[in-house]
Amino acid sequence: MKLVIDESRCKGCNLCTMVCPYHIFQEGDRLNERGIVVPRLDRPERCPNCRLQKLYGRRLCGACALICPDQAIHWEEEKPYEARKVVIEY
Amino acid sequence: MSFEDWFREDRLPHIYCTGCGNGTVINCTLEAVEQMGWAVDDTVFISGIGCSSRAPGYIKTDSLHTTHGRALAFATGVKLANPRLHVVVFTGDGDLAAIGGNHFIHACRRNIDLTVVCMNNMIYGMTGGQGSPCTPVGAISTTTPYGAAEPAFDLSELAVTAGANYVARWTSYHVRELTKAVQAGLETPGFSFIEALTQCPTAYGRRNKLRQVSDMIQYLRTNVIMVQKIQRMRERGEPIPDDKIPVGEFVRRNRPAMGVQK
Repeated sequence: MKLVIDESRCKGCNLCTMVCPYHIFQEGDRLNERGIVVPRLDRPERCPNCRLQKLYGRRLCGACALICPDQAIHWEEEKPYEARKVVIEY
Repeated sequence: MSFEDWFREDRLPHIYCTGCGNGTVINCTLEAVEQMGWAVDDTVFISGIGCSSRAPGYIKTDSLHTTHGRALAFATGVKLANPRLHVVVFTGDGDLAAIGGNHFIHACRRNIDLTVVCMNNMIYGMTGGQGSPCTPVGAISTTTPYGAAEPAFDLSELAVTAGANYVARWTSYHVRELTKAVQAGLETPGFSFIEALTQCPTAYGRRNKLRQVSDMIQYLRTNVIMVQKIQRMRERGEPIPDDKIPVGEFVRRNRPAMGVQK
């Protein structure tokens, strides 16, 4: 699975940067075509939902998707799925 | 299926300002409804007037956007006309506490089988930041330029006193706890009231030195205290800080309820 921010919905409030336990969401630095600074994803493959959602068959953490007031964060199917080596530091 | 499937995708993005907490509360409520396993056709969302009350327009189910303060009156009618339906009311502090205060206490007294989610942003956000009955003492708004002088309503205590079956208060930062509280409210027969303190950086924060969304979230995080902690402090005889807002589950009881399907 792949973590995606929908740029057509995000309003750039940066609430996701405050809740992610892995600090995957970082404040962005460039305007998109709607004039909004969308957060930047820092190594999103560390997200437990990306790695383990399929294995457990349910959404695991999901705090960013729940707190996002604009419903801009979701997970997409990735094809073809490539197994990557992931280093997790807390 | 997850809570995203309950949104009317063609209506999004919604009109709420950047960083408004109402979207978060909608997410949490829909996640709780999703956990309950209710069908879209058996659920009705009802709201009054205000920022918070635009919420049912973004949800796929049947919805009523009613007159100012009368959401609970319409919800009573829907529930009693067809007790098979699951009725959830979205409302705000200006809608529920100011003009709809009388409907609120009488809905609590009758203990109708409704779930009320109140998005308390402590101000009238939609009309330009006038002071509401929930504006804290000293807060600046358009109608209180020297700071609000009157004490604010404690909506949860009011609901407990008026006789609701389930009352809880959380903030829009505590998403997991809020989801669990809404789910407990949906499961409870009788009137359940969940107050969600939300941030309003545009109308409230801008005038009260909390202009950034992160500042308002920090204010909500640091100014709340769990009811269990207040209980422990009271038992130990310690002074209870009066500037903190108690959060948590206030009451869960089984008074006879109205409109519950036999």
